[in-house]
Amino acid sequence: MKALCWNGVRDLRVERVDDPKILNPRDAIVKVTMSSVCGSDLHLINGFIPSMQAGDILGHEFIGEIVEVGPEVHQLAIGDRVVVVSIIGCGECTYCKEQLWSLCDNSNPNGVLQEKIFQYPTAGIFGYSHLFGGYAGSHAEYIRVPFADHGAFKIPEDIPDEKAVFVSDGMPTGYMAAEMAGVKPGDIVAVWGAGGVGQMAVQSAYHLGAERVIVIDSIDYRLAAAASHSNAEVINYEDTDVLEVLKEATGGRGPDCCIDAVGMEANSKGVEHYYDRAKQALKLETDRPAVLRQAIAACRKGGTVAVVGVYAGFADKIPMGLFLNKGLTMRGGQMHGQRYVPLLFDLIREGKIDPAFMLTHPMPISRGAKAYELFNKRADGCIRAVITPHA
Amino acid sequence: MIKNVGITERLLSVAAGAFLLGKTWRRSKGRPIPLLAGGYLIVRGSLGYCPLSHWIGKKNIHNPAINIKVVMTVSKPREMVYQYWRTLRNLPSFMAHLQEVEEKDEKHSRWVAKVPGTDGIIEWEAEIVKDEPQRLIGWQSTDGAIIRNAGKVQFFDAPKQGTEVRVIFSYHPPAGGVGVGIAKLLNPLFKGVIEDEIRNFKRVIEAGEIPTTVGQPAGVRTGKFKLI
Ligand SMILES: NC(=O)c1ccc[n+]([C@@H]2O[C@H](COP(=O)([O-])OP(=O)(O)OC[C@H]3O[C@@H](n4cnc5c(N)ncnc54)[C@H](O)[C@@H]3O)[C@@H](O)[C@H]2O)c1
Ligand SMILES: [Zn+2]
Ligand SMILES: [Zn+2]
Repeated sequence: MKALCWNGVRDLRVERVDDPKILNPRDAIVKVTMSSVCGSDLHLINGFIPSMQAGDILGHEFIGEIVEVGPEVHQLAIGDRVVVVSIIGCGECTYCKEQLWSLCDNSNPNGVLQEKIFQYPTAGIFGYSHLFGGYAGSHAEYIRVPFADHGAFKIPEDIPDEKAVFVSDGMPTGYMAAEMAGVKPGDIVAVWGAGGVGQMAVQSAYHLGAERVIVIDSIDYRLAAAASHSNAEVINYEDTDVLEVLKEATGGRGPDCCIDAVGMEANSKGVEHYYDRAKQALKLETDRPAVLRQAIAACRKGGTVAVVGVYAGFADKIPMGLFLNKGLTMRGGQMHGQRYVPLLFDLIREGKIDPAFMLTHPMPISRGAKAYELFNKRADGCIRAVITPHA
Repeated sequence: MIKNVGITERLLSVAAGAFLLGKTWRRSKGRPIPLLAGGYLIVRGSLGYCPLSHWIGKKNIHNPAINIKVVMTVSKPREMVYQYWRTLRNLPSFMAHLQEVEEKDEKHSRWVAKVPGTDGIIEWEAEIVKDEPQRLIGWQSTDGAIIRNAGKVQFFDAPKQGTEVRVIFSYHPPAGGVGVGIAKLLNPLFKGVIEDEIRNFKRVIEAGEIPTTVGQPAGVRTGKFKLI
């Protein structure tokens, strides 16, 4: 089959690879119909997440059709149209049982290795480096899905593909961000990043009762999409002092909830940017935490900062004094997708959250490298390019 | 200070990366030792750091006995967890280096292990020297084993639910003669592999299978890596 493979920093190639096989009793094989790009892939492509190997198949946000099931798969049948959560959970460990799926004890084949860095192992993720299990990703005609009964969900008939695909990753991440930020009726919420995750955080925050949601980014077409599709107020950080504008917009208090939907590759202005870029290049810090710093500074006293933008390791100059003295709460995590899928299906059907506008570029797998180029450069109005391996 | 922390972390990731490199290549090509050596050399050369000597520790160079300790919490009741382990023939279901454990009677068993990187096997007899149901199992190899070895597993109730399992394995190669060759097997990699396998106990008991990617598709492995 054809698959889109990582071959080095910003070097992606479509290659012919073997079809996947059932390797464990709880596996299923899915014929991929749609597979989206995600901001997390950019961290791999741009070379900021360690333990990639040439030949690794990328992609983790996808839908498809069940074509084969292992002997211990009981909830799924051949022909089922499914969305598969990007994170792999065994469903049996204490973390999975408590719905903390991305913390699964048992799904990462390289758990012992990952433990050397994170102290405890976390869940495997499709197409997301060997540290996270080295699982082959979804930018391929077929994919093997471990623990399929828990990770693959039948898509209700009335939900079309272009909405269902984002239930795999972007939507649950945005929803979990709003939930972790503790959004309550009447709150003012600030979201950094108007990519797919940020867009979904905006809609989720409104769903949880936010009075106003303010989005910060520098890409005008993405800000415009947040305004028109999700009713967000927008700030372009290029031409303003974000902290001043947020303060002014909130009667001098600051937002109640701040969401970092940018992560380790945040851009910033002037000296700060050069400082972080240099340290990152020299491996003295792995992450550029400009957004995290700003969110901690902007947040009102006693407010909450939720982090879903991905960080890989170590970040410098985090304003701990502000965090402590303002009495903030900070939460973060890879999303626990399996916990949110049924709820998100309902919200889509009720029209409360609509992700379809994010699918700006459907593309055949042969143009996979191009899809990432558009997405990485924020070109041509791209929010999410979606690969259709069988189209 | 800050710089030191940064460098330690960097070394950790490189060491981990090198370990991974060996593991992945071992899977795909089945010739672990030269490739691993290469991986370590890269690390050593580029950073002036040798994870092997770090892992071995100076004292172990003269005394190659290997002790492996694993502590894990398994989300199943103590009776079941104890029973699975006490049924010694179950051990190969999670420890791939064991080809077979045959229970000859209540106390005595015959163990057959594969020698890593070769087609050879090693056999020895072991006896259970301590058995406190639901609490502790202790065993050791009987006289005549090439690699003298012993093990102990303890079971405790975890605070909320499940069982805390503490496992200790130790291996003592004989001195001199044939022992020198055998001693080479008992290296830090062996230790890492065994540790990994012991932890598969939790995966087998909880999830019913050991997660794997061996046999999945991949593009051409040109050898390019991004370790840090
Ligand atoms: N926690 C999870 O489970 C999870 C899941 C999916 C994605 N993610 C992460 O969420 C983040 C966003 O994902 P995405 O798919 O939306 O990515 P994306 O690349 O499409 O969007 C990121 C956006 O951040 C903007 N940005 C950069 N610097 C900024 C700054 N200083 N202030 C404000 N905005 C800034 C960029 O212009 C871009 O629009 C990524 O880090 C991704 O890895 C996490
Ligand atoms: Zn993602
Ligand atoms: Zn689990």
